[in-house]
Amino acid sequence: MENRTSEEITEVLEAVWTLEEQEAATIEKVIQNAPVQVTDGLIAGLCDDGLLSVDDEKRVRLLPKGRELAEKIIRRHRLAERLICDALGARVEESEVAACEYEHLLAEGITNSICTLLGHPRYCPHNKPIPEGDCCRQARDELKPIVVTCDQLRIGESARVAYFCTREHSRLLKLSALGISPGIALKLIQKWPAYVVQCEETEIALEPDVAKNIYVWHTPQE
Amino acid sequence: MAVDNLLLSKKVILVGNPNVGKSVIFRLLTGSYVLVSNFPGTTVEVSRGRMQLGGINYEVIDTPGVNSLVPQSEDERVACEILLREKPDLIIQVADAKNMRRTLLVTSQLVEFGIPMVLVLNMIDEAEERGIEIDVEGLSDFFSIPVVETVAIYSRGRRQLLNAIQNTADPPDNPLAGYDAGSKFIASTRELAAPALLSIEWVAEGDRELALTIETSIGAKAFTQLRQWKERYRAAGHGGPAGEIAEIRGRLLDKSVALFKKKRESRFIEESSGSKRVWLGLLICGLLLFVWNEIGGLLRIRTPYSVILQMTTNWLDSSLGAGYFGAGLIRSLLLSKNPAGRFEYGLVLETIHFLLLIAPVIVPLGMLLSRSRAFVHELGILTRRASTGIPILLGVLVLLYEFVGYTGAQTLVGLIEKALFGEHLVPLLRSWMPSGFISDLIVGKYGIVSMGLTYAIGIVMPVVGTFFIAFGLLEDSGYLPRLSILSDRLMRLMGLNGKAVLPMVLGFGCVTMATMSTRILSSRRERLIAILLLALGIPCSAQLGVMLGIAAGFSQKAILTVIAVVASQLLLIGYLSSRLIHGKPSEFIFEIPPIRIPQFKNVALKTWYRVQWYLKEAVPLFLVGTLVLFSLDAAHVQGRSLLDWTQAAMAPLISGLLHLPAEAAGIFLLGFLRRDYGAAGLYDMARKGQLTGQQVVVSLVVITLFVPCLASFLVIIKEQGWKRALAITGFIVPFAIGVGAALSWVLRAFNIQFY
Repeated sequence: MENRTSEEITEVLEAVWTLEEQEAATIEKVIQNAPVQVTDGLIAGLCDDGLLSVDDEKRVRLLPKGRELAEKIIRRHRLAERLICDALGARVEESEVAACEYEHLLAEGITNSICTLLGHPRYCPHNKPIPEGDCCRQARDELKPIVVTCDQLRIGESARVAYFCTREHSRLLKLSALGISPGIALKLIQKWPAYVVQCEETEIALEPDVAKNIYVWHTPQE
Repeated sequence: MAVDNLLLSKKVILVGNPNVGKSVIFRLLTGSYVLVSNFPGTTVEVSRGRMQLGGINYEVIDTPGVNSLVPQSEDERVACEILLREKPDLIIQVADAKNMRRTLLVTSQLVEFGIPMVLVLNMIDEAEERGIEIDVEGLSDFFSIPVVETVAIYSRGRRQLLNAIQNTADPPDNPLAGYDAGSKFIASTRELAAPALLSIEWVAEGDRELALTIETSIGAKAFTQLRQWKERYRAAGHGGPAGEIAEIRGRLLDKSVALFKKKRESRFIEESSGSKRVWLGLLICGLLLFVWNEIGGLLRIRTPYSVILQMTTNWLDSSLGAGYFGAGLIRSLLLSKNPAGRFEYGLVLETIHFLLLIAPVIVPLGMLLSRSRAFVHELGILTRRASTGIPILLGVLVLLYEFVGYTGAQTLVGLIEKALFGEHLVPLLRSWMPSGFISDLIVGKYGIVSMGLTYAIGIVMPVVGTFFIAFGLLEDSGYLPRLSILSDRLMRLMGLNGKAVLPMVLGFGCVTMATMSTRILSSRRERLIAILLLALGIPCSAQLGVMLGIAAGFSQKAILTVIAVVASQLLLIGYLSSRLIHGKPSEFIFEIPPIRIPQFKNVALKTWYRVQWYLKEAVPLFLVGTLVLFSLDAAHVQGRSLLDWTQAAMAPLISGLLHLPAEAAGIFLLGFLRRDYGAAGLYDMARKGQLTGQQVVVSLVVITLFVPCLASFLVIIKEQGWKRALAITGFIVPFAIGVGAALSWVLRAFNIQFY
């Protein structure tokens, strides 16, 4: 039996999961897609561990144990992308590379914190679903997310800006020139026919799409 | 620069966010010596003025409003260019004391220039009533610049400002250097020429023109250093420097937060609550009276207005009889009768119109606005909400109609066109001139004075003038941005956003001017759609006024039909073009300025500039148009004039398709020169009873949808290029005639009449 590094296991499971989202995963495609060297021995080893199964047509499937593991890896990866893309303002292509580094660093507890911070996002920047964690299920049941989009505030509610979800530099500049930047308090004062927020003593009208992409820390009314 | 350069020894530049009162400060400093010109290559206006202080001459330059010196708009670019090119001796930053964080973002950019600088905290009274406390001394230390508090509209703080201008000679400290001394990034920019960080951002933004200006401003050597810095930065594997600089500025602003704090909730100062209640009561009564009069007029039932009007004219008839007072011109100005023997215009009837319709709303509104800050604040909220904003918008439109459509298009047109030109000037000129070619040319049927000048000065100018006054009032009051909010969703249907409502509204004043103002829209696609819609179906005020004048002779149904047909075509074409022209609407992020009391001087100046512009622009075209018609009429071929031949040639189209009289051909010819000129011709024909109700409706629809006037066509070429301008025209002409023909057919087929 070969030695399998955790990185190898992670990358193979990740590749199988991603492929399964689109179509059936074959050994050939897994070899193409995984960023590590995939040998027949490695696949066989994973089968031995009860993570994968390979059928006669060389199709690879995740077994329950492997699925559970892969779900966590994918969740970390896609949350990391979301974090880098939204909170740090990187482009989608850039987030991909950085997220690969990140996913290995994140511990389970931190992953949930980040998920909560981001408001339990359901899709990654590439529009692929992010598997739910305990925190998401819990939040859905009992808690309101701490970070919400600006359009979810009630009229008259104040909140602090957490981050913007936009790839357009010009939108960031426009918002910050009008005084809306991370850390700044704003108040939603109108929702229709356009969103209006108040920032300092300035009133700013926003179209729904812009309001939906401003994430704020929701502080319940005192 | 018209001002004598040799006499000037110092140059002062005013910079600041939009709507902070820069122009009021500008006038406070310079008085009336103002020269307004467009910044080269743009439509952005820049004012220059002079002042004398302590024996020194100053040239004062007012720049367009900026939210940041990293330009996102034409206005901001121009402001940056001026700062770089003019090399001022002093920068005065005018600020809205209510919005300090935004102010200090600009301050942190301005101090980079290393030019002596004064910070003016204007509207300090409004900041106080909103509970904002500003540590003026702390602020002054923070940037090492003098800070002056003012309320410019009441001249408060003027002397302190003048003192500061005289005594400020030292450049400000750049607090960035001090606070971020340890930062490697800041250290690496130290060798760069001022404004170092801004230059980096300009170059990083890829703004080539601005980069060129920086090069000439800081010199080729310093510019090479800047480029080398950028190369090194990139070689070190960093992304864009813009993000890093934004972060540094953000940190600096966070440090200044302690200097201004909102200590309590807003408390607005009231003159006295008793008088507010009285005026509020009067306003409500005035509004009720207004609604009664307007709806009554629509339903043709008795209203206070119609009753008093009737009483007055009866009394005038019986007491004055045929020989009423005064003579000649004065009599025609005060009162006049139409051929049917009814009083139709004149200052007496206008007084009743004003006192009963306009004044009961406007006077209490003005009193409340000037007396109660709380009312101003509340009005600002009511006008932007859909539930209250839309009724208010309707009210504003009806008031606009009463002012432009009645006072302008009926009273003033009656006074100038009919009384002054028709009854006095033209007959006088005729009596001086022996009949013949010269007389025909000047006061004949297609005479330069009797037609060209009468149309331009007599019919169109009063309408344009009153519209510009009304538009100026709305503009200055801060109402127009609220219109953008209300209309954003409608505009989105047409591939535009709420911002586009501004050129559209201006289009009701002058389509040419509006076509130029489409530059405020951010994408090429939006500009194209807006220009197409402006050219297609937005009637300018001159045309609109004339149209209202024509329709006044027929039932309300006539004008409503015209509006419905044109509006539906606008929506249809807007919707289709938003589908056909590739792209999506640009984002709508828009500052809503507070409602303010319009400043009389501002409105007067703006109206004057616009009327002047109109005169220079339109009158020559009117004269050329008249000359063309005159020559067509005078040149005879085979016993018929060329005009007859043209009419004969267009007859199948005009009489066949549209079922209009053949003379209408001449009017559509005029329409090519200016749509309002064409409409004025229709007005003439309708008044002489040459058109039936159906024909009026059809011809008004066609002339509204018809090609843009020559001037706006030229501007479209300038904005969009030859090909697109021709494509737009090539689409509009057949489309207008097609819609006209279809409408004509429907009206005849269903025998719909307008009396």
